[in-house]
Amino acid sequence: MMPLWVGPVARYMATGLVTTLALAAVSIAVSVVLGTLLGALLVLPSRAVRLAVRCYVEIWRGLPIIVTLFFIFFVLPVIGLRFDTFVAAAIGLCLWGSANVAEVVRGAVQSVPHGQADAAAALGFPWGRRMRHVVFPQAVRRALPPLVGLVVNLTQQTSLATVIGVLDLLQASQRSIERLTLSTGATHAIPILGAVLVVYFVICLPLTFLSRRLERSLQRA
Amino acid sequence: MTAVDFEPGFVFSHLGPLGQGLARTLAISAVGTAGALAVGGLLGAASALRIPVVRQGIGAYVEVFRNTPLLVQIFFLYFALPEAGVKLSAFTVGWLSLVLWGGAYNAENFRAGFEAVDPKYVEACRALGFSELASFRRVVLPLGTRTALPSVTNTLISVFKNSSFMIAIGYPELTDTAVDIVSVTFRAFEVFIAIGVVYLGLVWIFSLGAGLVERRFAIPGGH
Repeated sequence: MMPLWVGPVARYMATGLVTTLALAAVSIAVSVVLGTLLGALLVLPSRAVRLAVRCYVEIWRGLPIIVTLFFIFFVLPVIGLRFDTFVAAAIGLCLWGSANVAEVVRGAVQSVPHGQADAAAALGFPWGRRMRHVVFPQAVRRALPPLVGLVVNLTQQTSLATVIGVLDLLQASQRSIERLTLSTGATHAIPILGAVLVVYFVICLPLTFLSRRLERSLQRA
Repeated sequence: MTAVDFEPGFVFSHLGPLGQGLARTLAISAVGTAGALAVGGLLGAASALRIPVVRQGIGAYVEVFRNTPLLVQIFFLYFALPEAGVKLSAFTVGWLSLVLWGGAYNAENFRAGFEAVDPKYVEACRALGFSELASFRRVVLPLGTRTALPSVTNTLISVFKNSSFMIAIGYPELTDTAVDIVSVTFRAFEVFIAIGVVYLGLVWIFSLGAGLVERRFAIPGGH
């Protein structure tokens, strides 16, 4: 028989998990789309464009995400923008995620041997079709393993939203522990935080395996 | 507040606490970095040597720490372990969590580096009468470490950045100190730009240094 406290705590933590998954989904989607665009700009011939995108990438990749989150959380209201904590967390995660995706995409495109594009040019392909039919398909295969790794990383980083007050899985567990301590005197922190670890582990491990499999199939090819 | 008043000079009146915060950030980062290197190198070597049981144990440790968020690991060490009678100070959890997390990533980095060494070098060593351990120490270790270097330095830079996670357990490192100052003075712009510059500056310096080390120790003629 389960102890009585388990039911309500599990239900409360499930609502936190929904928030965590929503935050992860939004951050991953925006980061991949925005990051791919930025990564494409990083391989354009224009130096000014590259410099601007490089600044964006170096700043948001270099800053600890917590600092970015607090910056958004405290600074946006000062300049008159009011966001709830979920949006603030999503913006911070997207800045970090898109900067990292941009680096992955740039690396993948540049790792396609030059001879490939040259050969396509020699066959009379214009730049656009050269990219679309020759460079891009090869770059996607190379970008995929690190991108899946980034998805794992972003999913884990959503837990940082807790520190600016988002009611995610970790925050829900923390509040459950506090409530149990006040009402019963026992914290039950080991099973509750242990459950949080297990939930993240169950979400992330299959993705980690997928990333490794993609990596290996790439090396065989 | 109608207009944003920006006063960079404000930061200078809080240099004392911010400096102490930075010192604590550097302290747990230094222990975390050194520990992550030692743990990672040792476990990476043990994995690459394919010692049965030990290898599976290390694999489990690596998967658990890489597939759960560092912040939850910190919470577990700080809030859950006391229930089992293990009470750790915020400083101890600070460096210990960084060592455990960075060690797991580095174990994987080193293992991959060691296993990337062409087996024919090891075979040549064995044919010359080197023991398995001697051929590892003389050939696989120096070559594999150099292959692993870029990913290892990346992990170490993450260890430094992730020292900011200790705000969650109230350890007064740089980020925690800054948030404390902001919540009393509401000078968010000045304070966050100041610590942002410090973090970015240090990350860039570490990256530059890592790049120099990687070039200095690059395997001649590529690999």
